[in-house]
Amino acid sequence: MFSDSNLSPFFSETAKAMSSSREVLSLYRDFLRVGRKFSNYNVREFVKRRAREGFREGQALTDPATISAAVKQAKDQLAVAKRQSVVYSLFAQPVKSIMELKTAVGDQSVTVAKA
Amino acid sequence: MALASGRMRLQPLLRQGARLAASLQTSGRGAAALEGDAFSAASLATERPAAVTATWGRSLGTAAALADEEPPPAAQPPAEDEEEVGINLKGVHMLGRPLYLDMQATTPVDPRVLDAMLPYYLDQYGNPHSRTHMYGWESESAVEKARQQVADLIGASPKEIVFTSGATESNNIATKGVAHFYKGKKRHIITTQTDHKCVLDSCRYLQQEGFDVTYLPVKQDGLIDLELLKNTITPETVLVSVMAVNNEIGVVQPLAEIGQICRERKVFFHTDAAQAAGKIPVDVDAMKIDLMSLSGHKLYGPKGVGALYIRRRPRVRIEAQMSGGGQERGLRSGTIPTPLVVGFGAACSIAQEEMARDRAHVDRLSQRLLDGIRSKLEGVVLNGSEEHRYPGNVNLSFAYVEGESLLMGLKEVAVSSGSACTSASLEPSYVLRALGVEEDMAHTSIRFGVGRFTTEEEIDRAVELTVAQVNKLRELSPLWEMVQEGIDIKSIQWAQH
Repeated sequence: MFSDSNLSPFFSETAKAMSSSREVLSLYRDFLRVGRKFSNYNVREFVKRRAREGFREGQALTDPATISAAVKQAKDQLAVAKRQSVVYSLFAQPVKSIMELKTAVGDQSVTVAKA
Repeated sequence: MALASGRMRLQPLLRQGARLAASLQTSGRGAAALEGDAFSAASLATERPAAVTATWGRSLGTAAALADEEPPPAAQPPAEDEEEVGINLKGVHMLGRPLYLDMQATTPVDPRVLDAMLPYYLDQYGNPHSRTHMYGWESESAVEKARQQVADLIGASPKEIVFTSGATESNNIATKGVAHFYKGKKRHIITTQTDHKCVLDSCRYLQQEGFDVTYLPVKQDGLIDLELLKNTITPETVLVSVMAVNNEIGVVQPLAEIGQICRERKVFFHTDAAQAAGKIPVDVDAMKIDLMSLSGHKLYGPKGVGALYIRRRPRVRIEAQMSGGGQERGLRSGTIPTPLVVGFGAACSIAQEEMARDRAHVDRLSQRLLDGIRSKLEGVVLNGSEEHRYPGNVNLSFAYVEGESLLMGLKEVAVSSGSACTSASLEPSYVLRALGVEEDMAHTSIRFGVGRFTTEEEIDRAVELTVAQVNKLRELSPLWEMVQEGIDIKSIQWAQH
């Protein structure tokens, strides 16, 4: 698995070009935090995956202007994620996805009523 | 007892409703609505008395208040539901919501899309066609921004985009609109046997009006034969309509080649790109496409919105189907649904931005699905071309398994045997039959749809469940037993009874 510590070597390298590597790292952590708040299993997993991909792609950036544009975009997207995690929580389904239930294959998670 | 009391309580209300309806005779609409409600409530009274008060109270709240009666008790959720975990639907009880692998039927709305839409459901509710105030202007500029976003996705100009209610409407306008406009000169249309029902049905309608329609057969891999297309085009041909990505088997037609042939022969080329846009790169100029249908809810946008691309140079002219206020340059009258259009635009823009990432994700997961199932089961056939396909659509046939039983046993996985439009019928899919898939294999097909929000864990679970279910059904099958013993099923002469 990918952990936050894997990012540090990159961030220290391009720190000169960036406003602050710490800012980017905390932005990434914010994404992971807000991602966990989504009540929907698929969206939660998507935010986690997309944040990871996005910040990994960011590692390749060297041009300061591109980096600050990427940081700005990430901030906008974080705001969207924060708002939408609230919207999702307002309409959260009482029944979770089967992916969140601890049932193994073969367990009786579905029963068909006899007519 | 309960029935009688339900009726008794209803009687004064019904009378009241009728009086109210009579007093509302002047406004025909209100009266009709009230009568309709009274009717449904009355019929409910004989069938399900318990539900009557709730329905009645809600649908005729004013009448109930006028009747000066005690307000009907609000429908309370039954107490036993609190203890029961899970969902009860259609006689099936599920502990959790099934994992969703039916992305060709519809996709979930991306949270970023919803975020763009919500302001237009709240403060910014103006009619985009209102020219006299700020509410109209802000909606109009949002609609024009969305038009640009849609156009950018397919390499078009925003002036060539007409918003519709979805791909079905777009397909109808394209086929009927072109045919009707040019009917004085040309009266022949070509489509394929595997196109979507709405194109086929529009063509059927045109046939009744006296147009000639050729339904091109497809090869075994689902692709059309370009030579056959060339030979089918006549000087009478006005339109060729070929679906870009098939909704059932995910086969990608050679659009650029078809476009080239059509342009050379001066025939208009329409493509239904509902399943293609935002998933594979589509460019109307590079592919020489003259008309293209798009849908919002197939690319993580809202349902109820789509678009039709209509080329301006060389110009394609169509006859409008909708008469009205002349919106969308008279091609599609009716107020533009700003929130939906904004969501559609945002979905297109996101799809364009995310296409490479989505594609990598979908490629990886669908390969995992295919490998997982094939490594654990024999007698699995991938329908349609293995090479020319959108990988997010995996249509598999499982030999010696009955498709409906498999679907019934896979209630934890939301999949379909084919298109959602025909999923109610037990008939095997016409698309698979057009491919020449044998009846028994066409009956056992399952379409797995992988998308942006699908996870690796879901794929693994789906593989596990499918394999378990197929094995279970095969154990019950005498045919499978015979196959295992080395008997060639096809050589058996079945006795007639």
